[in-house]
This record gives sequence, structure tokens and C-alpha cells, in this order.
Amino acid sequence: MDYIGHPYYVSGNAILHALGQHLPNDVHQHLHASHGISVPGQFGRFPDEHSQSGVRPYLGSGLPDVGSYDDLFLMRNPTHHWLLDSRPRDALNTHDIRPQSGHPALSHETVMDRSEDAHKQQQTTKWYITAYLHADEPDVLPLGEDLLEGLQFGGKRNYGYGITRLKDTQVVDIDELDYSRLEDGDAYLIEVMTPFVLESEYPSAADQDVPWWWNESRQDLRERVEKILEQREVYRLQTVDHGQVVKYEGDRPVETAKSGIFRVGTHSKYGFGELRVKPVEPRPD
Amino acid sequence: MIAAYRHDVHKMNGQPHDYAPETFAGVRVNQTVPHGADGDASALSRPSGQPEQTVENHETLYRLSLIEGESRYDSQAFTRNSVESVVKSLLTEDDPEALHRAWLDSDIVSAFTESVYFPYTSLKYHTLLVAALLDNYRAGHEFDDLRLVADNVEEIVPHRTVYAGEEFALRIDIDARGQPSAPLGSRPWRSWASTWNRLTAHPMDTSHDKYEMVLDANLRRIGAWSTALQYIEDFQEVFDQ
Repeated sequence: MDYIGHPYYVSGNAILHALGQHLPNDVHQHLHASHGISVPGQFGRFPDEHSQSGVRPYLGSGLPDVGSYDDLFLMRNPTHHWLLDSRPRDALNTHDIRPQSGHPALSHETVMDRSEDAHKQQQTTKWYITAYLHADEPDVLPLGEDLLEGLQFGGKRNYGYGITRLKDTQVVDIDELDYSRLEDGDAYLIEVMTPFVLESEYPSAADQDVPWWWNESRQDLRERVEKILEQREVYRLQTVDHGQVVKYEGDRPVETAKSGIFRVGTHSKYGFGELRVKPVEPRPD
Repeated sequence: MIAAYRHDVHKMNGQPHDYAPETFAGVRVNQTVPHGADGDASALSRPSGQPEQTVENHETLYRLSLIEGESRYDSQAFTRNSVESVVKSLLTEDDPEALHRAWLDSDIVSAFTESVYFPYTSLKYHTLLVAALLDNYRAGHEFDDLRLVADNVEEIVPHRTVYAGEEFALRIDIDARGQPSAPLGSRPWRSWASTWNRLTAHPMDTSHDKYEMVLDANLRRIGAWSTALQYIEDFQEVFDQ
């Protein structure tokens, strides 16, 4: 069913809220959720930095094995560089919009009906949402798949909008991943995968400057207003907008990479502050 | 500069480049654009190498829209004579700045694709990108000096403005003149989303306006420059609030 909600992602807050309907509080309170990124269920080719290579049918509709740090980010960048050039990648990767009582609802599938021959079937590409959870208490994860079935996001949920079906799950041990691409670089970049919160109206949330290990000051970065909804109250957030790239000033890229997976800064429990560390020069092999 | 606006006339009447006539309505057309500007602009929107048909059963000159998925071809609007007369005015104008303005404002050239293999690309924005690159190269600027600049709507810089809408304009230039901008990088590739993501400010209301947020979210998902610029034009036309 189409989705009427945040167009950049399904927020971690919305994911935690949906899970809260199914989980006892003593489990739910330990969960942290990433933002959910929309992925077209399409064919694709693993990018160079991935631990696997080659073309996979419907790469976008499953969860390929994760062996290295870079593998974690295959579906996290909405540009989805893995889409094949032999297909209309920009058309398959943009949301079709079906206005619904004034709201821009995002279509749950992309239908390409280019056949002149009536016997040929339409080509339909489904949209998936990928997100990840972590917990600050052992034994909480993994959650039972029945708890993940039928989660619903966005507006007009009473009318069925934003309902999902569980497609696939995967458990990844962050400490077991291969970080070698980050161990022998000369210089690194930080890609801001989800907004970094500078100011929050939420009670007792402190304002923050950009981290000292970003070689960029606040005035040189694009900001965007976000919000979180808690107990029916809306709290305004001032954020460093996602998608930007800054130079890394620190000297512990692997540690920074791990903390970027668990996210940094205010409201990181709800998906904000996800970072990716990238070596500037690909390692010569 | 005029050659840039006339270099792809064959794409509007369906002749392969090698056999395309050298004149149209009495002016020289289909000439090679100097400084490699055509090749670089192509690399901004299409993969290199031997092209493959990316959309089945759509080997036509007419563009497909990312919004509707429908061809812009309309047999009423696109009779051969009507296209010819509009195209004629877009080509025979001999004041280069007026020619640039005519291409920026034209919706007829939006109907055509820059390649039959990639029907979501736009001949209009490919041509404007060729002109912007050529004008910069003629001034001695290298590709890796160039930036995408978000201008106010009234700021039209001859040949360098590649998009002009009702809310903002976009320009390729080395000098941002205090406006939000982002570097194009070291070489031309389908870097639209990457460049748009690096702009120091986005020229739209992405904090409150749901439709502008959807437009922005989709612009972060598009690689091809001519497809993205055309999508902004189409989006404003269809979802004008």
C-alpha cells in the first residue's frame, strides 16, 4: 500500500513507535532504530568496495551477506549506485507520486508498461524499506519475525496506507566485520548518512556543535529542519542535512566507523547521526 | 556558441548523426561542438561505451517523463509542421544570448530525448549543459574548476544558466558569487545526486513543504543530469500548488 509520510526515509522514531505496538516495554526500551531507506527491488551489481562481486537478480529485494564494513552500506545511500546501467535506473529509483487528499503519497511499486504486445506482462518493481536495530542490552535481539510482520508507517494508517510485509532479516556482528579498508588509508571522509542533530526542542536535549573530528564548521554545511513526534508532541530539530560529505580530522577511523553505525549525537536512538567513514583513495589491490 | 544550440538537430527529426544534413532552414546544424563539450555533457547523463536499449519498446525520439512514465509525444501538438516551425525559431535566431534564453524557456525541446537508448534523458537540458560547458571551456576554465550554483530566479547568466524555473535558477560556473554551490568533481559522470547532495543550501523549502521535500528526496536518487533538470521542470508543472 502507498505511503504518506516522510519522503526522505521512514524515521527511526516511526520504526520504534511501530515496534512499540507489539513489544513489552522492558524489551522495547533497549532498542535503537536506524532510519529506513527505500530500495527498489531491482537487479544490481555489487559495487567495487563490496566483499562480493557480480550481478544479482533482484539485489534490491534481499539482504546479501555482510562480511565487511562497506557491505553494511549497500542499501543505505538512496542513490543506489548498484542499479544496472542497462535498465532505466533513474526511473526505477525515483518514487512515483500519487496525490491523496492533498498529500504526496509515494507509490509502493513502479509499473513500467511499455509493451505494445498485450500478451507481454507489465514490469513491476516493488519498493522495500531497509533499516537496522541494535540494543543496549544483550539477549534482546534478534526479535521474533512475527513481531516485525505488518508494521505500518506514515499517515492515514486507518485506511491501510504505509502497511508493510516482512521480506528478510539478518543479524550482523559489528565486531566481526572486516575493517581493513579503513586501516591503511592516508585520509578519510565522513558521509552524513542521516541528519546530525544540532539543536532539539525536546526537553533536556542539549545543543551540539558539529563533532570536532569533522573538518568543516557549521556555517559551511547545509542545514534542514526535522522533527520528532513523542507522546503526540512535535519537537523541532535543527540538523546538518544528510547526504553531505566532510573531511575526517580524527586518527581512529575504525572506532569512528563503529560509532557511526550506532550513530552519534542527540536522538541517535531514533535514527539521527548515522555516519559512514570512507578512505579517500581506494586501496590499490 | 551558436553551434552548441544547433549540434543535435538530427535528434529532433530522427536522423543518425553520420547522415544528418548540414543545414536546416538555411542555417548550419549538426556541427561538432568544440572543446569536447558535447562528449562531457553526454557523460553527465549517459554511461560510456556501447549503449543498450534501457526501456523495451520505446525506440523513439520522444522523451519519457519520470513523473508520468508516459511519452511526451502528442500527435496533436507534434505535427511535423508545428515542430518544425518552433524548432526553426530555436535554431535560426542568430543572437547567441537570445538563443540561450529561447532554449531555457522552450517546452517543445523538452519532448525529445538526448538518446533513443535512454528515453528519460532530455535533449533540452543536454543542449543547455553542452552550452554551459562550452562557454566555460572557451573562457579557459577546466572541468574540475566548475561548480553547480543555485541562483535566485531573476539571475540568468548567458549560456551558463542551465535551468530557470519560477522559484530558482541553476548555473554551471566557476564563481558562485556568494550563492550556494557545489563542485562538479574531477571528471564528468552521472554525478547529479552526488553534486546536489553537496550544495551548501537547497533552493527550496525542504523544512515544511511536503511536495518540495518529495522533489528533493527524488533529486537525491537521480544520476543523470539532463534527467534531473527535466524532472524539476516537469515536477513544477504537474504539482504546482
